[in-house]
Order: sequence, then C-alpha cells, then structure tokens
Amino acid sequence: MPAPPSFFERVFGETWLGRAAMRLPLAFMVAFFLIPLALTYVWSVFERTQFWMKPGFTLFSYVNFFTSARLENFLWSMGHSAVSVVIAFILGFPIAVFVRRRVPQVAQHRVILLFLLPFMVSEIIRVFALRPVLQRNGLVNTVLMDLGITSQPITSILYTPTGVIIGEVMSFLPFMVFAGFLAMEALPKYVFEICEDLGAGRIRTFVDVILPLAAPGIFAGSVFIFVNGLGIALLPNILGGPGAVNAGLIATQAITALDFPLAMAVSAIMMTTLLGLLYIGHRLFDLTKILSPIT
Amino acid sequence: MDEQYGSKLTHRLKWAYTLLLVATLMLPSCYVIYISFNEHGFGAAKYDFTFDWYKVIFTDKLLLNALGWTLRLAVLTTLIVVPFGLIAAKFYKTTRHKVLTVAVFLSPLFVPGDILGSALLVFFKNLSQMFEAFSDWLGNEWFYGWFDLGFFSALVGLIIYALPYVFIVILITMARYRDQQTEAARACGANAWQAFWHVEFPQIRAGIFSACAFTVILTFNEYIRTSLLKGGFDTFTSVLVSQMLNEGMSESSYAMSSLVTYIAVAVIGSIIVITLIRTESLEREARAKAQPAMAS
Amino acid sequence: MTLQPNVSAPGSDPMTSARDVAVEVIGLSKNYGAVRALASVDLKIAAGEYFVLLGPSGGGKTTLLRLLGGFIRPSAGTVLLHGHDVSALPPNRRPTSMVFQSYALFPHMSVARNVGYGLKLQNMPKAEAKDRIAAMLELVGLTGYDARMPHELSGGQQQRVQLARSLVLERDVLLLDEPLAALDAKLRKDMCLELKHIQEKVGITFVHVTHNQEEAMTVADRLAIIAEGELIEAGTARDVYERPIKRFTADFVGERAIFDGTVASAEKTGVQLDLGFGTIAVKAPAEASAGAKASVSIRSELLELLPAEGKAPAGFETLEATYRESVYLGLTISHVVSLPDGSEIAVRDIAGAGPAKLPEAGAPVRIGWKAEDASLHLS
Repeated sequence: MPAPPSFFERVFGETWLGRAAMRLPLAFMVAFFLIPLALTYVWSVFERTQFWMKPGFTLFSYVNFFTSARLENFLWSMGHSAVSVVIAFILGFPIAVFVRRRVPQVAQHRVILLFLLPFMVSEIIRVFALRPVLQRNGLVNTVLMDLGITSQPITSILYTPTGVIIGEVMSFLPFMVFAGFLAMEALPKYVFEICEDLGAGRIRTFVDVILPLAAPGIFAGSVFIFVNGLGIALLPNILGGPGAVNAGLIATQAITALDFPLAMAVSAIMMTTLLGLLYIGHRLFDLTKILSPIT
Repeated sequence: MDEQYGSKLTHRLKWAYTLLLVATLMLPSCYVIYISFNEHGFGAAKYDFTFDWYKVIFTDKLLLNALGWTLRLAVLTTLIVVPFGLIAAKFYKTTRHKVLTVAVFLSPLFVPGDILGSALLVFFKNLSQMFEAFSDWLGNEWFYGWFDLGFFSALVGLIIYALPYVFIVILITMARYRDQQTEAARACGANAWQAFWHVEFPQIRAGIFSACAFTVILTFNEYIRTSLLKGGFDTFTSVLVSQMLNEGMSESSYAMSSLVTYIAVAVIGSIIVITLIRTESLEREARAKAQPAMAS
Repeated sequence: MTLQPNVSAPGSDPMTSARDVAVEVIGLSKNYGAVRALASVDLKIAAGEYFVLLGPSGGGKTTLLRLLGGFIRPSAGTVLLHGHDVSALPPNRRPTSMVFQSYALFPHMSVARNVGYGLKLQNMPKAEAKDRIAAMLELVGLTGYDARMPHELSGGQQQRVQLARSLVLERDVLLLDEPLAALDAKLRKDMCLELKHIQEKVGITFVHVTHNQEEAMTVADRLAIIAEGELIEAGTARDVYERPIKRFTADFVGERAIFDGTVASAEKTGVQLDLGFGTIAVKAPAEASAGAKASVSIRSELLELLPAEGKAPAGFETLEATYRESVYLGLTISHVVSLPDGSEIAVRDIAGAGPAKLPEAGAPVRIGWKAEDASLHLS
C-alpha cells in the first residue's frame, strides 16, 4: 500500500535532517548575531594591547568613555536623535493615517512603495547628497537668494546639530511611515466609522483611539530611528560640525585606532540602551501586537 | 466609505502633502543626478550636459574591480538570504514560540550597522585566532585563515543585514497564501517538496522575486558593515565613500552616486509598474467574475 | 442490517454488521498543550459506508477528521485504515483523499489540471489521465469545464471540482471537511443529495464532517456525535433521532423537551423521575438506582397541548404548565409553555393539526405525551 519515502521526503520531511534544515536560519542568527552582540559585554572589559586586546577584567574602557569629553557629545547626540524622532513622527505619521483611512485598499501598498523609493537610495548617498544641498553655496541657499528671500547664505544648516537632525529625519522618515502604516493596519477600519458615528472630533479620535491602538508600531518605529540615529557614524561625520560624534562614530574611530575594548564598550552601552528601550516599550504597549497584520 | 463624505479639498491637500514629502526626500539624490551630468561639476556657474563623468567611471580599473566585488557579494547574499528567509517564514508558521522567533529575526533592524559591524569584526578576529591556535596545537596549518576578514565575513554581515527585510516581505506574501492548498496537494499524493514547488511557490513567486530584488539593492547600497568586514578588497560603496571623505565630492563621485540611484529607481519603478499592470488585469478578472455565473 | 438497541459504553460505538472495517480508531486523542482537543475516542466505520461526524463547532470533529487524514499527529492512540496502522504516515502516504471547505482548488491551474494533479504525481500516461479526468467531470456534472479557472467557478462548482479531484485517485476513504458550509441553504440541500448519490455510485467510504443536522441526516448511513472532544454517541440517523441514549444527543439532535430530575424509584417496568415540581414515569428498562440524577426527553412534535382540567388520554404522562405564546413557522407551529420551575418548553404541531382554539397567555394548561415516547438518559 504505502510506497517507500522518496529522497526529498527523507531529507526535508519529518526526519532529523529536515528539522535541522528548518532551524538553520535561526542557528545562523544565533551564531553570527546574538552571540557576537552578547560577547561585546565580555570584550568590553578586556584590557587593551597595542594591536589587539587581552582577556582580563577591567572597567578602564568604560571609565575612559564616561570621563572623557566624548560623553557630553554623546549625550547631546542622544538629544538630537530624540528630536529627530519627534520631527519624523509629526511629519510622517499623519501620512500613515491618511493612507490607511482615505486611500482605497489596492492603492495603499503603492503609496507605501513610493516611500520605499528614497529608502532604496543608498543610505550613504542620502547623507552625502545633503552636502551640496545644504552647503553655503548649495541648492537651498542658491534658491533662497535667487528668490530674494534671504540676502546672506544660511550657514547653520550644515556642520551643525541642525544638519545632523535634518540628515536623520531625511534618512529615516520612510521608516516612520512604514512603522506607522503597519501600526495602522492593526487598527480595524470600522474604528473610524464608530468614532464618526459617536460624534468624536478629529483630535479626540486621534488622541483617544488612534494613538493608543497604534502605539506599539509607533514606538517600534521611534526606537528604530532613535537607535540608528545614534549608531550611524556617517551622520555626524559628514553633516555634523567639528567634534560631533555619536555612538557609532566613537566605535568606528576606536576600531581604527585599534582600541577594541573601547569600541566594544560603546557597543555594549548602545545595546543596553536599545534593550532598555524595548523592554520599557514592551511593558507599556505589548510590542507583539505590531505583527498582527502579518501573522 | 468615508471618502464620500470627506471634503475633496482636504483629500487633495493631503495627497499633495504626501507627494511633496516624497519629493523632498528624493530631492538630494535628484540634485546629485543633476550635477553628475554637468561638465563643470558642482557649484559652477555654467551647465553643460555631458556623459563624461560616467565614461570616467567605466574606464577606471579600480572602480570596475570594486563593482565586480560588489556584484559577487550581491549575488551570493541573495542566493543565501532568500532561501533563509523562506525557511525562516515556514519555521515561524509551524513553531509555537512565535514571538521569540520574530524577535530574533527582526532584531538586526534595531542594531545600527556600525555597532554590528564592530562586534562582528572582533568576533571574526577572535574566531580566527582560536582556529589558528587550534591548528598550532594540532601541529599543522589546516585551520588557518578560515575566519579572516574577507569575502566570507562581509557576506555574513550582509546576510544578517538583509534577513529581516526578506523575512518581512516573504511573511507578507505568505499571509495571502492559504495552507489548505498545501494540504490539498498532500492529500492528492504530493510530498512536502512537491506540494511546495507545484502549489505554493507559483503563488508566492512574486513576493520571492521582490525579496531578491530588494536584497540586491540592499547589498549594493550597504556600506558600513561591508567596509568593516571586508578585509582587503574594495567594494563600490567603500571606494565611493573613501573618495568622498578624502577628496570631497569630485565629479566622478557624483556620477557614481547617481549610478547607484538609477539602479534603485529602476527596480522600484518597475515593481510599481508591474503591480499596476497586475492590479489592472486582476480587476478585469474580478469584473468578469462578477457577471452571473451559470447555475450550478 | 438489523437494528439493535443502542446499548453502548461511553466513547465507543457498536458495529451493526459484520462488514469490512474501513476505518478504525482506537484510543485516539489529541492535545494542544493543556487544551484537550480530542479525548480517547474509539470508532469503527464500515467499508462503503457514508459516515458523518456531527457536532457543534470546536467540538473536535474536524480534529478527528484531520487525524484520519494525516494532517495532524495523534497525541495517543492508533488510526487503522483497512487494517493497516497509518498513525505515523503523512497524508500522501495514506489511502485517503480529502475535500476541504473552501479555497482548496489550486488557483493557478485549470479545472482539468486540478483534477489531474494527483494523476500527474503518479506519472500516469497523458491519454489515460485525460480519460479518467473526463469520466470524473461527468460524474460530478461538470463536463466541458476543463479549461475553466477556479475563480471563474461558483462555490458549488468549486466543490464539485474538489470532489472530482479526490475521487479520480480511487482511494479507499474520502474525507470531507464541512464541504457544504460555504454554500447557501438551497444549494446545500441540492448538493447534499448529489453527494449521497455519488457515494452510492462510487461505493467507497465517505467520512463527512458537519455541524448541520439536516445535512447529516440526509447523507448519513450512520453518524457519530462529537462534542467537547468526546464521541458522545453513534448510530443511524433514525437511532440517534428517535432513541438517543445520552442527554447531550437528545439536546443536540432534533428539538426535544428535556426534564432533569432525580430517580425516585426504579422497578422492572419503569422509573419514576422526581422533577421537583412533579413526578413522571418513564417506561424504559434501565439500570437506575434511586437517588441517581437522570433526565427525560420527549420529541417536541410528540408533545400535546391538553386542557388543564379533565382526564388525560390513556397511557399519557402529563405535567402542569402555563401557556405563553404560539409561533407560526410555516410547516410547524410552536406552542411555548412555561413549567412551574420557570423553564420553557415548546410543543410542536404540524400546521393545521393541534387545538383549534388557542388558550390565552397565562392560562393554565397541561402538556402530555405517550409514556413510551419518552427517553431516559442517565448521562
């Protein structure tokens, strides 16, 4: 009656080999992502040698970081990142609401694809390309002066914290739209109709209904922007003024200087910040809800 | 629904705002493209259209070499990461620990490239040393150079980078697929592979191809992880960045940046166009179906 | 097939003839973590039988069906198909095929390719496959639909294609998972009869899952009531409708008035059940001990509305009640009365029969029934 199992069945079916294959991506992630990141904590307490590091336990790197001038700049960069998150939210989230509510279902994904377009341009290009735009003699200033709106070029939008913020917002706005869109997909459409039925005004609808329900997605998007703003070295490197740093720049500079424990210490601090934020978010919002539209 | 009762004007304004935002985001890249065609480069008073800078790129041996490496990385990453994403999506559907699985596969999104790159760099160096020490202990050189910084390490970094995106795209594609189809195929006598290949794959094909295109673009654009992990060879982005950091933005770097943008725009543009065409044909089918079918 | 009294232990089912056993399930159970989807179930289905698993949603009937098909692995127990233990085999290795509720046709294949999929997997020569496909399409009444695509078909047509796709494989057992649930009522009635005729023509064993009683009774040779993960009772449609053993069956199948109470006394001829507001006698031999909890049920169409005064007809048991209202339902009229303990009972009359003059709301009446029409349920 039953025929003997075929080769593929034996490999990918209910055999141990099949089960192993199913777990391969997970194993890969654990081996090359989770473990290295976990080890940053270990390496951050190693001692620095001239070209490498040697195992030991010392808090020198942390002390070095927390007592140096870098710390102040680092904290400033956190502030700038936070500002970028807020601006991105104000600019981008209404679009997600608008698309979800007013745009017919079929076209919704096309609009999201539109925002995929700037995301598809390389992150470095997006940052570098801001220089000819924001420079003293760049596009913005040329246009403003030609139109007679200003008589002097604006110098405060590049090589300043403002420049970094502009760069962050431009780089990550699409993510806020995506995260907002995902968050809004978790909202059943009839919610809006109920609100209108009940006579709730626009603002009340927004504050009492949309925000709480979409909170997990908004939070995830915000964490994403915040962490990446802190982590991408190019942002302060290209757009910030002298001495502008963020965690990513400190880490890569440390690596170039062959101070590996310091780089690992900065990474560990970043990881801790990230985990802390995610934990807080989970306690507040139950972040697992974000994926309900997909699952 | 509520579109009928809302104000047409505010609707148009909101659309205008959305498009304006997209345009603003694209502005810097478009400006770069604009400059790349100028014979005199950036900031010059005159504007003479030329393809010269592009010609320079394609004759520069260093650049072409870097382009080759980038292409190799892109192809290999795609070949590995898309099946990974597929397996991960299937694993997610069958496992009971759904939240943990998703958390693991999406977490690289929240770790900035510089941080991950640094951690992986140290990780690989350590692995290299461990393997070399092991080799020495064995008294030979079998395990030398396995984990040196090079193609493999860059590949690993890119796979970690791209996997969350591929995972999401494939999950979304599979969300529309009904599992009864696989069961029906199994009930007809198909084994697990046949059921996947004959029935499931044709229906998720589009999503898989999108994932492939996505990955190619992502690898092409990626800079920081690759540059930290690649060791000796040059990639397109690393050449571009080192040029821009050292010499400022030269004319050829404008052309190079534009090139990268074209690829991205071409791929996304064609996806938009293709989905437009498909929704048209689907709508036509739906209209035909809506006509009364013969009595059963 | 002789009718035997439905005396059976809980969770098992009596075979009413000595035919070939197509499906046998022994001690089958399925748990999802702490949730018990199916408790230990024992069942035998004869070859060539049209067997229905009837029960409320979420009760375990679909779980049982999918265990038969190999789509789920049992937590305990065995599944035997024609004597072979298939418990560990995947669906493609079992002599079963399946018809699903919906969305199971391959949308990228035409009707002919859908039906021929299983044959293609067997590497059947094209000519032979073509003949078989044509024969199957004729059997389900879809000749000429070869080139249609699934989205061009109506719901009923899609189910027929599924049927053809499963039957063309000539397996021993056909499983049907609520195949008519997605169709509207009129279509369901027509397709019910068609399914029965096709099964009679083809002659293989059908196992059909549904929550719809009328559907079950139309097609079934025998049926089993599955609820809360347990096999409550099994038998022919007539057995289950006219002589249910379990209280659950009485409550689930048909419309019955059910009275719960305690056994006041038990003799050879019958049992006296104390309802709290009255005592009724039930004529049924049963091993009931005084003090045990029991229930009595009577089909609502066998109840009669009697005047409050006067002698009841001979052989009738009666209870006092208060008349509430009557509901006209076309074929039947339901007279709703309330009992002294507050519960409401419906007495059904075929429209046209029954009392010519209806009482006033709140008026005292009596409901009565022939003593032998009542069933006693000890569990």
